[in-house]
Amino acid sequence: MTMIRGAMAIFKRDFRKFLGNPFVLMFTLLMPIMYLVVFGNAMGGTITHVPVGVVQEGPPFNETPLFINGVVALRHFSQADNPPLFDVTVYTSEDNAKKALADAKISGVVVFPSEVSSDHAVRLYVDSSDYMTPTMIESGVRGVLQGLGAYNLVLVSRIYGDIKYIQFFGVGVIVMAIFMTTMMGGGIALIKDREMGIHEGYLVTPVKRTSIIVGMISSGTVRAFLAGLIIFIVGALITGVMIQSMEDFLLVLLVIFIASIGVTSLMVSIASRFSNQQEYASVTAFLNLILFMTSGAFYPTIGMPDWLRWITVINPEWYTVHALRSIILRGQGLAVIMPDLIALLIFSAFAILLGITTYRRTLE
Amino acid sequence: MSGQENRKPVQEDSPTGIPDISMKNPVSADPRVCATSSGESIIRIDHLTKIFRDKNRTVTAVDDVTFDVKRGEIFGLLGPNGAGKSTLIRILTTLLAPTSGTACVDTYDISENPEQIRSIIGVCPQNSTLDVELTAYDNLEFYGKLVNIRDEILDERIYELLAMADLRDRAQAPVGTFSGGMKRKLEIVRAFIHHPLILFLDEPTIGLDPESRREVWHQITRLNDEKTTIILTTHYMDEAEKLCNRIAFVDKGKLISLDTLDNLKRLIPSGDIIEIGCGEITDPLISELSAIPQIISVAAKKQKIEVRARNGTQVMPVIYAIFEKFSVNMTSISIRAPSLEDVFIYLTGRKLDDGNNESAQPANGRRRGT
Repeated sequence: MTMIRGAMAIFKRDFRKFLGNPFVLMFTLLMPIMYLVVFGNAMGGTITHVPVGVVQEGPPFNETPLFINGVVALRHFSQADNPPLFDVTVYTSEDNAKKALADAKISGVVVFPSEVSSDHAVRLYVDSSDYMTPTMIESGVRGVLQGLGAYNLVLVSRIYGDIKYIQFFGVGVIVMAIFMTTMMGGGIALIKDREMGIHEGYLVTPVKRTSIIVGMISSGTVRAFLAGLIIFIVGALITGVMIQSMEDFLLVLLVIFIASIGVTSLMVSIASRFSNQQEYASVTAFLNLILFMTSGAFYPTIGMPDWLRWITVINPEWYTVHALRSIILRGQGLAVIMPDLIALLIFSAFAILLGITTYRRTLE
Repeated sequence: MSGQENRKPVQEDSPTGIPDISMKNPVSADPRVCATSSGESIIRIDHLTKIFRDKNRTVTAVDDVTFDVKRGEIFGLLGPNGAGKSTLIRILTTLLAPTSGTACVDTYDISENPEQIRSIIGVCPQNSTLDVELTAYDNLEFYGKLVNIRDEILDERIYELLAMADLRDRAQAPVGTFSGGMKRKLEIVRAFIHHPLILFLDEPTIGLDPESRREVWHQITRLNDEKTTIILTTHYMDEAEKLCNRIAFVDKGKLISLDTLDNLKRLIPSGDIIEIGCGEITDPLISELSAIPQIISVAAKKQKIEVRARNGTQVMPVIYAIFEKFSVNMTSISIRAPSLEDVFIYLTGRKLDDGNNESAQPANGRRRGT
């Protein structure tokens, strides 16, 4: 009897505390629902509108019936009742098409032979740094040719070689390392320090408020940067991806650094907003889920429904993953990742401002 | 401490009860007032009021307080939990802006020159803010850099402080391995690293064992010998009696009394307390005792008579004589001067350690108790 009384008392106490924090409660329930929606849509979505280039072999660039019919058929090719699988762009020269492929504007190039005869092969170039699209393009093109009754040989060329899923995913893990170190390690430590009155202790010394914030953001940035760097090196060893040049290596460091400073500042502002560790943890777990899922680290964002793909537009992790993948898997340079860098710089600048203002508010 | 009617209009703090430190004080006096008449007072507090506003309630944590602290003294702020001691300290250390009133710390106004004040004060908060993962040396080094001590002298100064706290041999040990008293001493010398003019100690011996408390007191006295003015809050009477030159009683945000220990004790009209243990208590004995002119009151308790008398020591022989006369066997006798606790009870009608005081601050997770 006394055992039950004691157990009941503890049950009641725990439950009261559980219900007493509706914010945490809401996020705990929201989590699995978001998992369902985000995961379900991101992973199970049907891939459509894969951008492919089509070009007639030449010179001379006489459009053969196979080319004309092929373009039409590719445009209308779809799986079951889904929207068309391909967004077809017709290029006038093979070089232009290949350049577009190298710049990752399109995912594949179909080169139709200059003569209609089954002993001339249809050449197919695919961006093999993407995990899903190469096989889709290949099967699509074969299907179209079969439908047209053209039994040409299809020569598939994977322009970045055979990239395994682990290599594709390995790049995403770097971003995860930056995010986790900052949000889990840094944020909780910051909230604890504030609870213990350590930050208040700073305020009774002549130290400048700006110094406090700059010190905190810089230590967090270095920590996140080191985490990203270590995972990058360990990941390269595990997945067997090697950086081609010193310039690429420095670019990787640059991307990791900008992402680190942005994520750290974001963490400072979130940790300043929530004085409760539990609340902070549920918010960051939620953020981690939604940002990582839509970063394209797991699965190409092309398969996501439109509304989810909108999140990728404002998702710093997406730009980081994209930039890192461009450098590490495709060996592309500054020119290609420039838009990603600009987006990351905008995010970081915004996060620093937000971090400073929210943190300052906790001091006053 | 009257002045309810002439109190200045109070300003609204933020609804969360978190005040805005940057807020300019509307009734702040001319800053030159602080700069000119410094003299022997190092802190001058003038009609200081702090009101916390919450959604649910309004709490006056500091209620129209005016007093001075003299240069070089150990000044005690004594009062029960929630009396407003910590709030007052937080205002003087520039962490909070007052709702109204002014205060000068040395030659600076708390609202006008908070930055100058921060460089001449040392603060040891109630809750430890040491980094337990770091060594004693690292803790001091970190703090030394915060208060901007030159690198050339920092190392030497750290060892000086460690020696002062008898922790020299533990310089490279993590603070987490220290006892409560050692941590406290380290924290107190840390606040002293830049030779502050004023050292604020908020409940310096709370939660310590008697041995550690004595060590901390010793430490405080030594720092005071270095011409540092020390302001400490406490709710322990023995601490205040032992350390403080002057004591301010604070209760419910108000300053009740401020004087030296001896003068405070003289406030009690009932004089010394003499307790006599005896076998039998008879009415003639009681009436004979009451007839002694210096005796104020006689109370018979179980196996004990409690006598209150002026100049108790002189009355003692007379009491002996009366007991002889009635041939009553005296088993024990003791005399004691009224303690600070007795003074506090006399002034407020309540015990100092009374835990049932309403907290003077709103229930806010970000602010610790007083």
